[in-house]
Amino acid sequence: MGLGRKIGDYLDVRLGIRDILAQNLTRYLLPRNINAWYTLGAVLLTLFALQFATGILLLVYYNPTADEAFRSIQRIMNEVPFGWLIRTVHAVGANIIILALLMHMLSVLFMGSYKAPRELTWVAGFLLLLLSLGMCLTGYLLPWSQLSFWATTVATSSSGEIPLVGDIVLRFLRGGAMVGQPTLGRFFALHVMGFPLIFGLLVLIHLFCVRRVGISRPPFGPEWRPAEPPVAFRHEEHHGGIPFFPHYVAKDGATIAFFLALLLAVVFFAPGLFFPPASFEPADPFTTPRGIKPEWYFLWAYQTLKIFPNEFLGLAVQGIALILLLLLPFLDRSPERRPARRPLFVSVYFIGIALFIALSVWGHYS
Amino acid sequence: MQRSSRRKFLASLLGTLGAAAVGIATYPVFKYLAPSRSDERGGKVTIPRAQVGVGQARFFQFQGHPAVVLQRGPGVFAAFSAICTHLGCIVKWVPEKGEFLCPCHAGRFSSDGKVLGGPPPKPLPSIPVAISGENLLIG
Repeated sequence: MGLGRKIGDYLDVRLGIRDILAQNLTRYLLPRNINAWYTLGAVLLTLFALQFATGILLLVYYNPTADEAFRSIQRIMNEVPFGWLIRTVHAVGANIIILALLMHMLSVLFMGSYKAPRELTWVAGFLLLLLSLGMCLTGYLLPWSQLSFWATTVATSSSGEIPLVGDIVLRFLRGGAMVGQPTLGRFFALHVMGFPLIFGLLVLIHLFCVRRVGISRPPFGPEWRPAEPPVAFRHEEHHGGIPFFPHYVAKDGATIAFFLALLLAVVFFAPGLFFPPASFEPADPFTTPRGIKPEWYFLWAYQTLKIFPNEFLGLAVQGIALILLLLLPFLDRSPERRPARRPLFVSVYFIGIALFIALSVWGHYS
Repeated sequence: MQRSSRRKFLASLLGTLGAAAVGIATYPVFKYLAPSRSDERGGKVTIPRAQVGVGQARFFQFQGHPAVVLQRGPGVFAAFSAICTHLGCIVKWVPEKGEFLCPCHAGRFSSDGKVLGGPPPKPLPSIPVAISGENLLIG
């Protein structure tokens, strides 16, 4: 008897481990017409694990003080063996994660998977997206370069436009009137501890919801019919479906490999893609560099603020758009999920994507 | 039989590729975390003679480790590792007694590094000292 089987038997006698594995892997059946878009959750889990691992490694050499932060990053990039690799994977990984998060959200929207009984899964997922953007924003300041300093100055200054409490919010975000050591301290604490803790909890809630309710069936094919609104809890079963392991795990693995290849392609062949020249200069609070722009995923917000006559109006529009998205399952209550039978939603969906791209491109070139 | 051997082959191929991928990913992480030896290398340390009075000691870093130089008599200098040979605490110089004392477990060393008492098993390792004009060249 092999050692693996002995360990398996030992755990099985005490914890019934084989039954748990069978329930969640081989006997866990997914819809036969499940598609590759459903693998994005596994892709995101993998990418977040990679961010977590590289983030811990960066903490070994990173020094979160205004005097030392930039130098410690330079040291990681130029002196520590493979420091450039760890840091570039972390920085590029954040961008790939936002891309995967957007794709995940768009696929869920298109297939109407946010609808009852999966409203809570959507809310947890949307909060995860916002929290990820928060982690990107706080992480952006940490290198303490001209880019990070001034991008954070611009990003935080818009909060000062909130009526009545704007100034308090702004000072609270920055830890003072201007971006400085207090800002670095609180952004560092949020980035490495505060946000990841909330993030971990939300991931657990999201996964619990996914597993408890069951995977939604893609709304395609002639036999698909809208489900009746739920009146009691029911786990969605897929009799005659494909097992999660090994069938769907193989598909998950393929998409994960694709995203990792994309990540490594940028790291090795275009490492400067997300590092404009201002990211190689130490922060100088007295010299604003020309043409500071936020990262691509904030360009739409940046441009929105510019096209409205006052900043508060721009902020309000952004806030309303985000709240509408968060509450979408409670507003769009029809059980119909087939895109072809939701022409109004699909039109708004594509206009929304086009608007996001157009605003981003405009923001980039403005 | 044929299906089983193909499955076995694919499983072992996947296992091998997985192990190779883990190895490739582990190597940079190991190198990244491996302690740098750059501060443990290096040549001699120069200290102005005037900074070490007769019967006085001066502590300094030598190749990444604490060391001490003292002037035992006029013009007679000696340098030692300042790490106690018992459990690695840093010894201190007691000028009134003219000896080193380890504050952790009361190990005592003479001004030429020999064990006078307490638990240290070996004398303090000596470091060569040369006089070069107004400076001491240590190492």
